[in-house]
Amino acid sequence: MRNSGYLIRRFLQALLALFIIATLLFFLFRLGLPDPTAVLVSEGLSPEQRADVRRQFGLDLPLWNQYLIFLQNTVTGDFGTSFHYRAPVSEIIWERLGNTLVLMLAAIFVSYGIGVPLGAWLSWRRGTSADSWGIFFGLMFRSAPMFWTGMIAILVFGVWLEWLPTSGMRTLPYEASGFWDKILTLDFLHHLILPAMIVAMFYLGSPLLIMRNTMLEVYGEDFIEMARAKGLPERSVLFRHAARNALLPVVTQLAVTIGLAAGGQVVVEVVFSWPGLGREILNAVRTSDFPLAQACFLIMATFVIFLNLLVDILYSTLDPRVRLS
Amino acid sequence: MISPALKEAFAPLRLMLQDRLAVVGLVVLTLIFCMALFAPLIAPQDPFAINEDEDGSVLMRTNDGWILQPSLGLVALNDTASRSGEDLIVGRKGSLWIRTADRWELTDVPVTADLNGIALTDAGAAIIVGSEGTLLLRNGSDWEVIATNLALSLNAVAWLDDTAALIVGEDETILRFDTTDNSLTPLVSPLNRGMALNAVALDIDGSALVVGERGVAMRYVPAAETIELVRLGSSRGLEDLHISPSGTALAIGERGTLIRRDGADGRWTVDKTPDSRGLMAGWINDEGKGFAVGRNGIVMERAPEQDWVLADTESERHLRTILVNDDGVLALGSDKFVIRFAPPSAQHWFGTDHLGRDLFSRSMYGSRIALLVGFLGATLVMIIGTNVGLVAGYYRGKTDTILMRTVDVMYGIPFEPFALILVLLFTPSLGIVILAVSLLTWRTTARLIRAQVLSLRERPFVKAARVAGASDLRIMYLHILPNVMPLVFLELAITVGVAIIAEATLSFLGLGPPQSVSWGGILHDARLSGAWRTAWWWNLPPGIFIMMTVLSVFFISRSLELVANPRLRARK
Repeated sequence: MRNSGYLIRRFLQALLALFIIATLLFFLFRLGLPDPTAVLVSEGLSPEQRADVRRQFGLDLPLWNQYLIFLQNTVTGDFGTSFHYRAPVSEIIWERLGNTLVLMLAAIFVSYGIGVPLGAWLSWRRGTSADSWGIFFGLMFRSAPMFWTGMIAILVFGVWLEWLPTSGMRTLPYEASGFWDKILTLDFLHHLILPAMIVAMFYLGSPLLIMRNTMLEVYGEDFIEMARAKGLPERSVLFRHAARNALLPVVTQLAVTIGLAAGGQVVVEVVFSWPGLGREILNAVRTSDFPLAQACFLIMATFVIFLNLLVDILYSTLDPRVRLS
Repeated sequence: MISPALKEAFAPLRLMLQDRLAVVGLVVLTLIFCMALFAPLIAPQDPFAINEDEDGSVLMRTNDGWILQPSLGLVALNDTASRSGEDLIVGRKGSLWIRTADRWELTDVPVTADLNGIALTDAGAAIIVGSEGTLLLRNGSDWEVIATNLALSLNAVAWLDDTAALIVGEDETILRFDTTDNSLTPLVSPLNRGMALNAVALDIDGSALVVGERGVAMRYVPAAETIELVRLGSSRGLEDLHISPSGTALAIGERGTLIRRDGADGRWTVDKTPDSRGLMAGWINDEGKGFAVGRNGIVMERAPEQDWVLADTESERHLRTILVNDDGVLALGSDKFVIRFAPPSAQHWFGTDHLGRDLFSRSMYGSRIALLVGFLGATLVMIIGTNVGLVAGYYRGKTDTILMRTVDVMYGIPFEPFALILVLLFTPSLGIVILAVSLLTWRTTARLIRAQVLSLRERPFVKAARVAGASDLRIMYLHILPNVMPLVFLELAITVGVAIIAEATLSFLGLGPPQSVSWGGILHDARLSGAWRTAWWWNLPPGIFIMMTVLSVFFISRSLELVANPRLRARK
């Protein structure tokens, strides 16, 4: 392949970015956050016991030594043991990541599924009242902070109408043998509706407005004039000629959104008590749970960086004017 | 003559004024700016002011807990006494309420001092004592002021027999009052340490028991005319004492102190308390069924042979006395109490929060931080983002790689946890909030601008400019920048919105500057207090303000977009 050299270079650069993030966070945590034993060992532990705990966590080693061990473990995919849960970090992480992704992907699917066609349609109806209302609502949803819409939704649908559950992923107590067993139930869907709708509502504005704006720009291009001059029906001009060329910024936005999805929407997870990665990372930082926090940050960073890489590759595929080099 | 340049400068404004949504946005944003500027004038109160109210509160005991009844006046009620067919309540500022035939009537007394204690005989003789040495005796339906020549506060009174009463007060004041000749006899306290004596009750052996500050208790024996100290087994201050007809007694006081005596010959024992807030009044009957009331709407109940339990109450009034008669049980108060969770009213348009602060005032002041962070943060973001995007997209190659990898690194850091780290690293402040918002928002702008520039630099007009010998800077800022302006303006407006929402998010998570008033912070309080599920007025306004501000900025962005991109204008 002609571009394989470029791809390899970008891949290596992505790894470098991850390495920089990991290093930055490693030192930021250890130099900036309070001692994890101070958070953990609240109930009058003697200095000896505390030293013991520090030894267990490997915090007694010199910083560079800890750093080398951290790098070595990370490369082999071993994120260590959580100080707080006293369990392997990878187990915790994968579960939380799954919880977050299922919520976020559902929301993104809904918002882009509605937003992109609606945006194209609004651009076509430019200047009409449908256009104004579409923009109004798109912007309004985009303007309302999710923790607030979430609280109001809980108040209305959870507390007053009692239609939908307002916290967690399943009605407690429940038993599930695994991730899929947990989410492939009606009860889970029931729990998913409120948070997913809140996130989807917030996301809806982006694809809608970006699609609409780019479409309007594309309408000014010569090839659209050409298509019209050929006598093609307006529908065909709209969807086959204009929309395809307007998709570029939307795709960027979509990839970026999916990339950021791994981090979840912290406030939504907090408001709906959704046991996702976003809530976990806040707790991990608060309790100075270094291994867990590092792993969370790394997972999120990996997602974002590799999806951004994907965007750049997609760019050249969708817009031949942009050449990879 | 208006110069063409000036005309040109006003062109954007003219265009904006043609767009209805943009006009709405401008108006709303201007209003919110005015709100921020003139917050001290608009807000009726300081945003930190705690609202308190005094009230003659009445709580009635029902099967569903203690329910608030219509208030008796606007001043606190201090003590009560009743006999068959008549109930009396005394309160602050010389207020006396008498109930005959199920109606409370405010009765005139010739004093305005605070009335602290009342005692009633079965025959209807009544004595009231109060602050500034106030002493009143009922003569038929008139109240006669008896001069005591004392300036200190008299706290309680109890009848010893039909013609004699014992009065106690501050500074270990003990007075014997004979109604036959209206004579007052000061008695000497055996302690003499200046303690306040708070309550007195007639015991069944004919002696009077007095309790007061620091658990002081003493017994006055009228026959022998002696006063001796007794020990009840606690050194906590005692506020009230009640002895039932058969001699079961209850003394209550500060920090939930409950001291009980079973029967006349029983020993005083300290009961386990379900709450450690101060108690103000107690009542117990022969079987040991009892009530105790105190500050913040604390009501304790005791069934015979059982532990004390907290009863459900509807309010947080400070309760000072208990009225028990054949009709039922009333708890009376209330000194200044904090008006918490008050729904919207004429005084508090948006209601009050968990600390009794006026939510309307807080909402007004909250606009300041939102606008400050929004506009300062967004400007910072645009300057960084546009330049990085322009340079990276135009030069490509190594410059692009380094800049975009930096953007990648910034992208890889999630916003809220990063802000949390910043807050833990430094201290929460407005600077940290703006820093967190700007550091992690320019990345989006830079990427979007770069993507556009990447496409633009391949277009013929850029190549033409290059052939014509234009410098890189000229091409970047004169040829490419105007073409990315629609995106820049769109992004600027969106970033103002994003920054406002980001600030609200941080405040909502409790990471905002402490002791500051912000919309997100109000929602943080609401969530933290747990009352937001019922107090809807608490959630609604801050969110609507955030939404309105961000929305108006978005509206304005739309017309800015038209200004910057004539191609959008030309069509249709």
